[in-house]
This record gives sequence, C-alpha cells and structure tokens, in this order.
Amino acid sequence: MASAKPIVTAADLRGGSARRRRETAIRGSFAIAAGLSIVISAIIILSLIGNAISFLRQIDLSWLVAGGWFPRSDQFSIATVFVGTFIVAGVAMLIAVPLGLGAAIYLSEYASARARRTLKPVIELLAGIPSIVVGFFALTLISPDIVQRLFPSATFFNLLAAGIGVGILSTPLVATVAEDALRAVPQSLREGAYGLGARRRLTSTRVVVPAATSGIVAAVILGFSRAVGETMVVLMVAGGTGGSSFTINALGPGQTATGAMAALAVGTDQVKGSSAAFQSLFFVGLLLFVVTFALNVTSARFVRRARRHG
Amino acid sequence: MRTTRQRKLVLAASILAIVAAACSSKSDTSSPGSAGGGLSGTVAVSGSSTVLPISQLVAENFSNANPDAQISVDGPGTGDGFVLFCEGKTDISDASRQIEPEEKKACDKAGIHYVELEIGLDGITVMTNPANSSITCLNKGDLYALFGPQSEGFKSWADANALAQKVGGTGNFPDEPLSIVAPGQESGTYDSFITLAGIDTTAIAQGIPEDKAAALRTDYQSSPNDSVIIQGIEGSNSALGFVGFAYADQQGSAVTKIEIDGGDGCVEPSASTISDGTYPLSRSLYIYVNTDKVATNDTLKAFVDYYLSDTGIASVTAADYVAIPSDRLDASRSAWSTAEGS
Amino acid sequence: MIARDATAAAVGSGLRSGKRDWSGRLFASALLGSLLAALVILVALLWEVVAKGMPVLTERGVDFLAAGPSSLPAEAGIGAALAGSFVMIIIVTVVAFPIGIGAAVYLEEYARDTWLTRAIATNVRNLAGVPSIVYGILGLVLFVEALNRVVDIRDLGSLLSGGLTLSVLVLPIVIITTSEALRSVPRSLREAAFGVGATRWETIRYHVLPAAAPGILTGTVLSLARAFGETAPLLLVGVSTGFFSTGGADTIERLLRSPYSAVPMQILNWSLFPNPAFKSLAAAGIVVMMTILLLVNGVAIWLRNRYERAW
Repeated sequence: MASAKPIVTAADLRGGSARRRRETAIRGSFAIAAGLSIVISAIIILSLIGNAISFLRQIDLSWLVAGGWFPRSDQFSIATVFVGTFIVAGVAMLIAVPLGLGAAIYLSEYASARARRTLKPVIELLAGIPSIVVGFFALTLISPDIVQRLFPSATFFNLLAAGIGVGILSTPLVATVAEDALRAVPQSLREGAYGLGARRRLTSTRVVVPAATSGIVAAVILGFSRAVGETMVVLMVAGGTGGSSFTINALGPGQTATGAMAALAVGTDQVKGSSAAFQSLFFVGLLLFVVTFALNVTSARFVRRARRHG
Repeated sequence: MRTTRQRKLVLAASILAIVAAACSSKSDTSSPGSAGGGLSGTVAVSGSSTVLPISQLVAENFSNANPDAQISVDGPGTGDGFVLFCEGKTDISDASRQIEPEEKKACDKAGIHYVELEIGLDGITVMTNPANSSITCLNKGDLYALFGPQSEGFKSWADANALAQKVGGTGNFPDEPLSIVAPGQESGTYDSFITLAGIDTTAIAQGIPEDKAAALRTDYQSSPNDSVIIQGIEGSNSALGFVGFAYADQQGSAVTKIEIDGGDGCVEPSASTISDGTYPLSRSLYIYVNTDKVATNDTLKAFVDYYLSDTGIASVTAADYVAIPSDRLDASRSAWSTAEGS
Repeated sequence: MIARDATAAAVGSGLRSGKRDWSGRLFASALLGSLLAALVILVALLWEVVAKGMPVLTERGVDFLAAGPSSLPAEAGIGAALAGSFVMIIIVTVVAFPIGIGAAVYLEEYARDTWLTRAIATNVRNLAGVPSIVYGILGLVLFVEALNRVVDIRDLGSLLSGGLTLSVLVLPIVIITTSEALRSVPRSLREAAFGVGATRWETIRYHVLPAAAPGILTGTVLSLARAFGETAPLLLVGVSTGFFSTGGADTIERLLRSPYSAVPMQILNWSLFPNPAFKSLAAAGIVVMMTILLLVNGVAIWLRNRYERAW
C-alpha cells in the first residue's frame, strides 16, 4: 500500500500548459495596469520638474522675490502666491475645524442612534456638493451679503469669501475622518470614565478626544490639504486672475497657487511653448504637488499611529 | 455570476448606446455646398475678449444655418489670440488692436499668411461705481495719474492728486479706496488704452525709460474676462476700470461711464460719439483670417463671407458695438474678395 | 490602586461639584450648534440655487436641457455641456475602470508584500490626494500636446483629451475603492477555491470578484460622480470658455475631435457674467447637476444596500 501510485499527482493539479500560459498572461496584464499608476506619477513628476527647471533657467532668480505675482511682467513672487494659499486655507480651517470637530464629537458621543441617522446625512450631503456650486454660492451670497456687509471696505473679489467657501468644502472631510477616529476609541475607555462618575462633557473632552488625537490630527491635516488644493472657489471669487501684489489683506483680492495655475490656464493656456509666463504654471504646480504630498504623507503617518494605539 | 453577467450586460449596453448615439444623429446630411445647410468643416476663432460677443453672435447664427459645422469661439485676449494664430492653431483671430511687429514676425516665420479685416468700432469705456458720484469726467492727465506706471502703490484716489496736477490733470479726487479692475497685458484693450490715452507719451515726458513707458501700473486686479471686470466695478463702491463699450453699456446704470476729456471737452461714450470719432478713446475692431486655410476649408470661407455680409455684420450693432462707415466696410469686403481669390 | 492621572483628577473634580451640569449642557448645545450650522449652510446654499434656478427650469424646461451655449440668455441651454459630460463619463468608464480594477486586482491578489508593492500602494494613495488641477497639467502635456503629434486631433483640446484627463484623475480612486472591496472578501473564500484546484485567476474571476462586486460597483459609481463634478483639470485641456458647436458629430471620430464643454464648466462660464439672467442660468444648471448627482449617489447607495453581503 505504501508504494501505491497516488490518485492525483502534482502535475494534475498544476494543469495543462495552456492553462498556465493563460494564467501568466492574465497576471501580466494586471501587473501592467498596476504599473500604469507608477507611470502616471512619473509623468506628472517628470513634466513638472522638467518644465520647472526650464522655467528657472529662463528667469532671473530675483524675479522670484518680486513685489507680486504678475507672470506677464516677469514678476514671479512665490511668497505672494503661497501666502495667499495659506490665508485662504487658514480661513477655511477656522471654519472647518470647529464645525467639523464639533459635528464629529456630537455624532460620536452625544447623538442617539436616531439622531445620528437624521443628522449624519447633513454631513454626507455637504460632502457631495461640487466645488463649482460652492463657488457660485460664494459669488452670489457669501461675498456680497456676508463679507461685504460685515466689512464694508472689502472689495467684491476677496480672499475671505474664498476662504469661507473652501471651509464649507473642507468641513465634511474633517467631520468624517474625525468621527471615524472618535468611534474607534474603545468603549471601555468611556465606560471607565462613566464608571468613575464623569459626565459626558468630561468624558468627551478629557478622555475620548485625547485618545483619538492622532486620528483628529490626521483629519485636520487632510482638511488643510483639501483647502490648499481647491481651485474653483478661488478662481471665481478670490480675484487676482491676472496677478496680485503681495498682500495679507483678506478683504481684498489675492492669488493662491491653484488660482495662479488656473489663471494661467484660462487666460494663457493658449500661450504654450517656452515663455516664462506659461512655464511658471509648471513651477507652481510642482510646489503645490510637493506641499500636498508632504501633507498627505504626514496625515497618513498620523492615521497609522492612531491604528497602532487605538 | 449573476452580478458578473449583469456587469457585462451594462458594459455592452453602454457601448451600444455610444454607437447608437453617434450614428443616429444627422444621418441625413445634405451634400456639402448645398444652399445654407451642408457645411461640415471646422472653424476655430480665438482672440480678443472685446470682439468675442460679436464673433459669438456670428458663430451662433452661422451654426444655426449650418448645424454640421464644428465651430469654437473663445476670448482669452488679443495677444494670446495672435500667439495661437501665428502657430496655425486658429483660423480667425479677433483683435481689438492691430497686429504688432513682433507678432507679424512670428507669423512670417511660421509661414502664416493672413488678411486684416476691419469689422467694427469700439470706444474704451472708463467706469466707476455709481456710488463714486464725484467722478464724472477725467482727462488724459488724470488717466495717467490713476493708471500709469508712476501710479504704482496709490491705494486711494487722493494719492493720485499730486501726480495728476503735475501732468495736466484735474487732480481733485476724493479720499476713497482705489481698487482697479481692468484688462491685463494679454488684452488688446490694454494696449489700445495705453496708446489712446497717451500713457506712453506722458510717461516718456515724465522721464520713464522708453521700454517701460508703454505699460500700466502692475498692482491692480487684472482679468482677461471682461465680465469679471464689470462685476468688480459693480461690487465695490469706489472701484475704477476700463472695458470695451458693449460690456459697459449693457450694464445700464449699474456702472457709471466716465466722460473723457481729450482736449476738446468732456465727451461721453455712446454710439454716436464713437462713430464720429469725437470720443477720444475710440478704436477699430478687426478680424484676421488665415488665407492659406481658406483655400482648403469651405466652411471657413463661408463663415467669413457670412461675417462680412449684411446680416453678419449686423452682429456688431446687435452686440452693442458701433458699425464702421460703409466706405470702410466696402474696403474690408474688397480686401476679403482679393484674399479669398488668391 | 487608582492611577493618578489627569483622567482621575478630572473625574474627581466632576464628582465633587454638586451643581447641575450647566457647562456640560452648554457644551452639548455648542456641539449640536456646529451640526446645525452645517445644516444652515446646506439649506442656504440649496435655497439660493433653487430660488434662482427654478424659474428658468419651469419656464423653459426641456428647451433649457437641449439647447447649446448662446449669448442670449433666453436661448442658452445646458444641452451641449450635458452631452459633453456624458461622452466624457463614457470615456472614463471605458478607460479608467478596466485599468483601475485590474491594478487593484494585481495589488491585492497577485503581488507579494514587497517594498515595491507597498510603494505602489502608497503612490496610489498620494495620487488620490493630488489637487485636481495638477491632473490638468498631465492632460495638457500628454493628451493635448503629445497626442497631437500622433493623432490628428484638435490642437486646442478636444472631447477625447478631456475624457482621458478625467480618467487619469479618477484612476487612483477606482484603485483604492476596488482594493478595499477586494480586501473585505474573507480569505476563506479564496482558500476554499484553491483547495479544489482553482488557479488564481479562476478564483478571482468566479469567486472573489463576484463577492466584491457590490463594493466595486459602488466605488466606480462614486468616482463617476466625482468626474462629473470636476472642472479645474479641463481648464488646461481646452474646454470651451465661449461658444462652441460640435457640429452634429455624426461619427464617433468627429465627436471625439470636437470642441466641447462640461456641465460644471458651463456653470462657471455663466456664473462669471454680471447679467442676472446668466446667474439664473447658472443656478438652473446647478439644479440639473445636483439632481443628476443625487440620482447617481442614490443608485450607488441602492446598489450597496441591495447587493451587500455580510461576511
């Protein structure tokens, strides 16, 4: 019996060569698909870097610290563009963090199941609103009826209105990620606090939120990254389409990185080729790519930390 | 397996849908060249945002008569339009100023042959918000003091008073915030404004080097989109800007059209003052047509024919600009027939 | 032994005070307030849009949905833009989904956990977070300039360039959602298939993919919704900012070469006009767009609920 031939051999299981060839071919095509994602990244990075270098070679480096961002007048003040970006993103965070975190804490710690079912869709609906709609809203309501009423000296196109619009867009992102982080906190922690007699506010603020810190930080960073990358609202209501002097006045027009790129596209997308004005598009794009990349990597690190400690 | 099969069905259905949609429309096209209906070529028009409303009206009417023609009309700015035109990417370039020597050189280098056709008249309108009621008339000195290269950094109207008085302006502006919204360097309106308001001559007289004289200040909100300029003026109490006549006129009383004193008294921009040239900032509007492409593109030929025809040229007044006198229209028409014949 | 940490100290102080928890109630109200603020913003936004847009839709109805761009507000419609969006969505479906699903299948089912695989996965995640306008740059370089040298396509950008750009934008999202759907299928399913001698592809095709299909479908539908709402990348690939006519476009080839617009782009064009009539048109366009998005999201949720299986 010990030397009887096995009924099924390994060769049988391996199957015919045609089957194996087909397997390899299919595996290969999937691998190509996966490789394409690397190819895309590579193309983005290479075209950004290549043209950015070509841009830097064409210009006098002093133009990078000029008084403003006026690509057609050879003024490429990066400071103007990024200060504008951070003003808009900063205002956006002033709105998105309180609203988003507040909503997240309420939904996670206070709301009953029924309240959650009714209120969570508010956040989900807000998340589904495309940026062009918020841009329209900023043009027709936020700027004339809110910003210009509160600050009569504000011009029609101003950074504050853009910031508020971007804040509306970032709120759902902050709320969702923060809520996930809060819900991931083990119930035992809360029960421990309640068991010692703490009330809900105390538990939420001194126990749950600190435990979910990494996740909440990730949420804020993601919201900030979204705010930095937002284009439509800025294009419509921040002004500065042709350029802007260095400004920190949120009540006036200004330029952001995304706005500068879009402006170069709408006004100048036709002016292709090697003009410095057009190639500044790639330079700003590269900087923007690097900034959002750094923000996303940092946020992912916080998410990993949350997973480890949660 | 039910879901995989369903997915295949959906995929097949959508492919069928594309094919059906693509094939079913207009399967009964009349042959090309038949009266008023069958042209199916492409026409690409780009250039001046001032001329855009005119070209758009012409294109819409032409498209209604020739539904198979692929037409596109954009208005990124006269300068940008010429860059595209001299790369051969567009068939017609709208322009609110004449082609400049460097642009001509670029076209020659690329082997592009074109014909210049004057099609209408415009008066650059300087505007302010109606709330800024003390400003009703400005002369060239004032314009230099508010817009010119030496006005960089003036944040209030009153800041410009000293300079205005120095260059012969009235110079009694109120102390209100000066927010300027105007075309940028891609725009022909920008260049025309500098020439017509004499910014460059005043600048040279003031000692600005020649290569920097034909420019405006850089610290204002510029936009290639004239609607955005209008919006900026309407939305801020003491804003200032300039734009093609049609855009300003269509806003009625929402903006104040400032009278310009070119040396003969204050003149308000209107169809009559632009037509007879008494408005100092009057200028011609042009289209430049690529004559090489006309030879091979029947649709393009028909488009320009239509543009210059009586119905087509009526678009100029329909768009709220001013018609050129009939002798100049005849000149354009004969320039075109010579060009299309060659 | 009770640990002497901040928690215990805080709790202790809470226990000791005997008053009513006003600060607690205030806090709860403040939190609820932030949710209500979000609700107010949502309602204000929708109200503004519907109030401005409904008159146009009720007066002109189908005409608005069918007409193309025009300088006259009374004749302009969203039809041409809708058609453009529709064709681009189809291009996205045909291009991005096979590649995205294939890439996800490779990463989840075939690839070993090497540094390369992890690098690809990280790379995909980062691509998903890149601002959409950067994809416009890719589209410009690849699908307008490079493509122009190979195929005779419209120099300034065409429907094909727009569709391909959106496909690349959406690709990382498709990969990520498909990966998550595949990951949710329990290992036991695969092992059972291997156990009876199935090859890896046979396992995937007959067992894993069908099981993950609801999640994949939901993800793909949601990425279509995203592609539908995006404008920024299109700005760089020649979307129309004025008037255009696709000219009947009686062959697919001509259609793909034609000038084009998309729904959000048309809304942008109209929004920038100071004339209130155009603002109403923009609002009407937004109403149409939101209705479509609502339907699409509804379909996605319905699909998820109908086909989802709890493991």
